[in-house]
Amino acid sequence: MIRYVGKRMLAIVPIVFIATLVTFALIHISPVDPAEAYLTAAHIYPTPELLEQKRREFGLDRPLIEQYVDTLGRIARLDFGSSYLTNRPVWDEVKARLPATAELAVSSILFSVLVSVPLGVLAAVYRRGWVDLLTRAIAYFGASIPQFWLGYLLMFFFAVKLDLLPVEGRGDWRNLVLPTITLSFVLIALYTRMLRTAMSEQLDETYVRYARTRGLRERSVVLKHALKVAIMPLITSMGMNMGRLLTGTIIVEQVFSWPGFGRYFVEAIFNRDIPVIQCYVFLAACLFIVCNLIVDLIQMYMDPRILTEGRANT
Amino acid sequence: MFNIHRRSAVLIGAFLLLVALTACSGKEESKATAESSAQDQASAKTITISWPRDIGTMNPHTYNPSQLFAQSMLYEPLVSYGKNGKLEPALAESWDISEDGKSYTFHLRPNVKFSDGSDFNAEIVKKNFDAVLKHRDTHDWLGVVGVIDQTEAVDEHTFRLTLTEPYYPVLQDLSVVRPFRFLGEAGFPDNGDTAEGVKQAVGTGPWLLAEYKQDEYAVFKRNPNYWGNAPAIDQVTVKIIPDAETRVAAFEKGELDLIYGEGVISLDAFQELQANDEYTSKLSDPVGTRSLLLNSSNPKLADIRVRTALHQGFNKRAMVEGITSGLEEPADTILSKNYPYTDVDLKPVEYNVEQSQALLDEAGWLLPAGKTVREKDGQKLEFELIYEKTDPIQKAMAETIQAEWSQLGVQVNLTGLELTVQIKRLKANDFDLYFWYNYGAPYDPHSFVNVVSSPGFGVSETLSAIPMKQELDKSIHEVLSSTDENKRRELYRSILETLQEQSAIVPISYIKKTAVYQKKITKFEFPANRDENPFAGLETQTP
Repeated sequence: MIRYVGKRMLAIVPIVFIATLVTFALIHISPVDPAEAYLTAAHIYPTPELLEQKRREFGLDRPLIEQYVDTLGRIARLDFGSSYLTNRPVWDEVKARLPATAELAVSSILFSVLVSVPLGVLAAVYRRGWVDLLTRAIAYFGASIPQFWLGYLLMFFFAVKLDLLPVEGRGDWRNLVLPTITLSFVLIALYTRMLRTAMSEQLDETYVRYARTRGLRERSVVLKHALKVAIMPLITSMGMNMGRLLTGTIIVEQVFSWPGFGRYFVEAIFNRDIPVIQCYVFLAACLFIVCNLIVDLIQMYMDPRILTEGRANT
Repeated sequence: MFNIHRRSAVLIGAFLLLVALTACSGKEESKATAESSAQDQASAKTITISWPRDIGTMNPHTYNPSQLFAQSMLYEPLVSYGKNGKLEPALAESWDISEDGKSYTFHLRPNVKFSDGSDFNAEIVKKNFDAVLKHRDTHDWLGVVGVIDQTEAVDEHTFRLTLTEPYYPVLQDLSVVRPFRFLGEAGFPDNGDTAEGVKQAVGTGPWLLAEYKQDEYAVFKRNPNYWGNAPAIDQVTVKIIPDAETRVAAFEKGELDLIYGEGVISLDAFQELQANDEYTSKLSDPVGTRSLLLNSSNPKLADIRVRTALHQGFNKRAMVEGITSGLEEPADTILSKNYPYTDVDLKPVEYNVEQSQALLDEAGWLLPAGKTVREKDGQKLEFELIYEKTDPIQKAMAETIQAEWSQLGVQVNLTGLELTVQIKRLKANDFDLYFWYNYGAPYDPHSFVNVVSSPGFGVSETLSAIPMKQELDKSIHEVLSSTDENKRRELYRSILETLQEQSAIVPISYIKKTAVYQKKITKFEFPANRDENPFAGLETQTP
């Protein structure tokens, strides 16, 4: 088990390597010179002398290979340098924003699971009942409503008109409600339908029929037997979404003035703030790998066949 | 059957508990501040405003990400820029300029203290100047930086600047928000180099930064040691709200008292708030001009007849009013009249399509039968117009101009670019038509004429093929070094006249700052300096 986890963690190395190579290439293919972008962002007029000086300061005047090797070396030591724009260590800036992003990501995933699991199960059990119709409506809207618009709608209705919740910012739990619902909506739409489909399939399986004939109560047939299998694809999907949410949710952060990671990173792209971009890419790669690993571990725990089949093949 | 409803109710209950727990943990502090500021609100005169970006490191000597309005709350200049460009004493009570214009002696205001109680004197003024001048390259854009020879603390309250050559806008340059404002001793890092950061934000201004949370909010309180008239309000809370629509929602809900700035809310939202009697809205005097550069180094645009035809060939008034709904004012001259030396009567170029067509015919650009674009020597009369793709006003204007000029038989191809790429092409002189902005108060008119004569900013290049370019450059050099007020006035008049006649810089509209505020604010005035904050003169109802 530990060996398995260790092996999976090692996968971070090649993935980070490829990710940094691609980002490095993209930054240098782009027609915008980072030194120039810095000066523009800083509202300093980019004279040739100043550009030269900044390029030297940022180490952009060195050969590309040397710059790249240097980048890799620093990432290996987990030293991300200082942001061009603020001159503060990138890691400090990222650290300051991570809690906000994590808070929103965790609450969104939790909320969407807690809403979509009961809804999905009920929709499958009472096919064509009102819950089923409701989930269909949610799925329809979830797929078609742009997130920013939903955000504004909720804000306008619950914060401005009804005056129940704050419009924006981060503070206590009330600030968390609207961004969480906005982010969860599309997830709920997805998860509910996913679970309904999987659940319906399972309920038609022979083992379910067998369980029923054994005289088990319907509740335990549905929740203990069928749900345990049907929830697997949902867990995979959750893992992917968790990675996505943890790397920042630009639109929702923007709409609700949430001081998270997404906004910071988008700005870094516009300013060609290379140290920040590199740190972000590294972090994103790690987060995705860890989230996937956790998903796999959960699945292994829930369905031990995965592990044994894997062994049989090797 | 089983009762799953009860079960989901339990689950939802558990979730709510969890959310409550995660939300409470570690946030007791911010909750407490929110409550305390709510309490303050009840007993003191406070206002809450929003700003799109974090206020940044409160370092008076560096640029972005520090926000100008916030820097100007803490730090003050020697000389301040008043209405219509009148220079007023600030930290310097008075000043003497030597006959040859090369030596400026400032008599500092006595009994001025920094917010930490330390003294403001000539020594700290010199220390600040020297810290800035250590990085001349960074600050080179400001004319005075290039001509300072020596800084000298003559006695406790006298500071002298010696220049290498006379340069009249020294005082204007010293009134800008950065870099020549003053940090207290306690703010300097050990090696004295403020470019690396400051230890504490200690200034002489009317405000001090009491509380700050990056990307979330900043709270400014009155500086108890302030030398001047204390502001009428006790506290300004700045909430960081990056989204324009969210800002409006927060304002409508009453979470904000004031929305202030340039382009901080959409035109639609401004109109809607303006129409609502519950709020007051105000527009400032022009703070800058939106112009269109017609690059004369392009052979087709080198002909003044073509430039004039284009200038006359679109309905500026209708376009500006239609697109900006009165938020901007149609501009007849490149610089509005509220800067020093710019109150000059210049002949406006009026909209006249027939005359435009006649001028193009005269210049040899004829419309071949059956075609829609004029031609000359087998070449089409075709230009590229660059605009910033995230700017809705530029895009709408570019499309209008394209449509109107196509009626003249001129083809315009639109290219939307990212700001950095756009500036790069401007500098490289790689453009035909380009939206350009002057700097505004307190930088103009001297910064404007400087870019007209100095290559590398795109404006001198735009004018490079006008016949009197050399004389123009000479007049500009003269005006900047002239020590005679009347001569300067005369020179400015002739420079502005030439530029108006040549139509290489086509003025489109004057940009204004907007302010929308709740009735609780009883007095609001825009600062004369575009970059300053309006809070010191702001008054509210007594709570």
